[in-house]
Amino acid sequence: MQQNDKTQLAIDKAEALLTGQGRYLYCVADSGERVSMGAIGIDGSKVYTIPYQDICAVVHECRAQPYNSTEGEMVNSWVLAHQKVVDEAWERWGTVLPLGFDTIVMDKDGVGAEGNVRNWLQNDYANLKSKMAKLRGKAEYGAQIFWETQVIAQNLIKTSPEISELEEEMKSQSKGIAYLYKQKLENALKRELEAKADQCFRDFYARIRKHVDNIVVEKTKPGDQNTQMIMNISCLLPRDKSTELGEELENINILEGFSVRFTGPWPPYSFVGT
Amino acid sequence: MEPTRDTHYTLVDLLDRVLDKGVVLYADIIVSVAGIPLIGVNLRAALAGMETMISYGVMQEWDQKVRAQSSEAGEQGKLPLLAGEQLRLKLFGSHYYGEGICSAWRQGYFYVTDRRIALYQPSFNGTIFETPLEAIDGLTIQRENHLFTDTQRENLYLSLSNGNIARLHALDTYKLREAIEDGMTSLGLTTREIPAPPVFDESAARFLDEGEEVIYRGKMWHMMELPVPGANTMDRWRAGHLYITNRRLCWWHDFEEKVLFEVPLREITAVAAEIRQLGTMLKKDSVLDVIYETEQGKRVACFSGDDLPQWERALREIIAQQGAVEEDMDTCPQCGKETPVGELLEEGCSGCGWVNPRLKKQAPQIAIG
Repeated sequence: MQQNDKTQLAIDKAEALLTGQGRYLYCVADSGERVSMGAIGIDGSKVYTIPYQDICAVVHECRAQPYNSTEGEMVNSWVLAHQKVVDEAWERWGTVLPLGFDTIVMDKDGVGAEGNVRNWLQNDYANLKSKMAKLRGKAEYGAQIFWETQVIAQNLIKTSPEISELEEEMKSQSKGIAYLYKQKLENALKRELEAKADQCFRDFYARIRKHVDNIVVEKTKPGDQNTQMIMNISCLLPRDKSTELGEELENINILEGFSVRFTGPWPPYSFVGT
Repeated sequence: MEPTRDTHYTLVDLLDRVLDKGVVLYADIIVSVAGIPLIGVNLRAALAGMETMISYGVMQEWDQKVRAQSSEAGEQGKLPLLAGEQLRLKLFGSHYYGEGICSAWRQGYFYVTDRRIALYQPSFNGTIFETPLEAIDGLTIQRENHLFTDTQRENLYLSLSNGNIARLHALDTYKLREAIEDGMTSLGLTTREIPAPPVFDESAARFLDEGEEVIYRGKMWHMMELPVPGANTMDRWRAGHLYITNRRLCWWHDFEEKVLFEVPLREITAVAAEIRQLGTMLKKDSVLDVIYETEQGKRVACFSGDDLPQWERALREIIAQQGAVEEDMDTCPQCGKETPVGELLEEGCSGCGWVNPRLKKQAPQIAIG
């Protein structure tokens, strides 16, 4: 029993030593202030800033170990907390360069985690400043465009000469041949759908491009049976100038068979990478 | 339409951003799992399967807890320890294996015990590398370029009593060294810093002949002529590394991992650098032309990359050292006068005043400048 207590004591001691060996990074903000932002971080951690000259890193103290959980709910709540802190910094200082979840700086070469954060700000200062200059006053908006495959396919069948020709020919064939024709028809339709998606993408891209400063094209995600995502983009534009983009997206939204999801404003996550 | 931030879909959108994106930091100061920095896609993979990963590679202090776990004998996927053997450190890492035709960094877990160091690979339950602590004569840590990436990392070299040198890398190489030294000290052995071994180049090690040494190396694009059936030959720039050894100039193609161009140094007759258009996709840049002799006549190999002037100097020096008495001669395309190639290309013909049309193109720019 006494042995167990001793072991527990050793573990507790080690725990206490380990806490504070890492700094969880939320974002880099446009301010040289050293301030405490209160216990608003992940799991109620105390968030504060580490300044270097006129910029600062928004961090909390933690173990040099990643947050991890196989429970989706847990991860979601952490991500939301991460976003809340970045938002708060964004409101407060106007310009932030957000970091991804679970970026934890650790002690290395004996300068401590906090020292490493400062060294990073110092070494990367010019790069961070130029990114901030580019992103000042701007926000990121997400737009995802979907179509209802059935509706679009029906329209294509009506309008494509190749397909209507095939349909016409099929009518006069015997059952067996007609089956082959059906296959042919399906392939033709698939090709036409792909071409159509391509054409829509280019058309929408050109229309959206006019209203934004920059676009990052993201991977589309699998949809359900009826709807398919044909376009997934992140747009950078002045934070308060989303009206025009919204109108353009509405124009697409009202097209038959199309729908649009429009999210934001987000801190410019997609525009701060290398 | 108005943008939204607070529906179920926006959570998905937010997750995509927060998990995959953001400012990127140097990988060597951020927490990683089993050597994988938690950035973007890696993070998703790590979040999904972290439970198992975390029990290994993460930098955990060697404490009571870990030791207690590791001493549990007979468990699968762990290095079997000898009776009474005490584990001091277990750490994810790799050993460079470079014998015969196979050469690679092989990964596993370093076990530093009170009597030996071993690299154990749990997947096939085998020991990749092992040495008793007594057999270590000396050790040193070198910061080296990681092959074909621009990052540097620390590698630990152990000089062994059988004359071999082992090259190791760990998630925390310093910690590995510390554990080895602690182990040696408690066995009453003295630890000794050895001089840095010659710069080790993994790809060079695969093509160097015996007695051949790398003198100069660097990233370099090379234009290869690819024969395309039924079409004109196509110019293509490929990424690789150029080497000057004490015997030859050769270019290693990163993608195919082999030497695709080589010429013995004595066959190089001239070098020249100039600004040229680099194909349709690329902008103008400096190109280094290396002119060399083959049985079929003169050939030119084109390279482009950083530090071209330095390469040019180095090659010129080599040509000069070979006592290029017979500087390569060529005939002027206009009057047919015999003139050294370099002079003809760079200055023009002293007989009739012919000037290389490429020089002419550059001339106006020089005048303006």
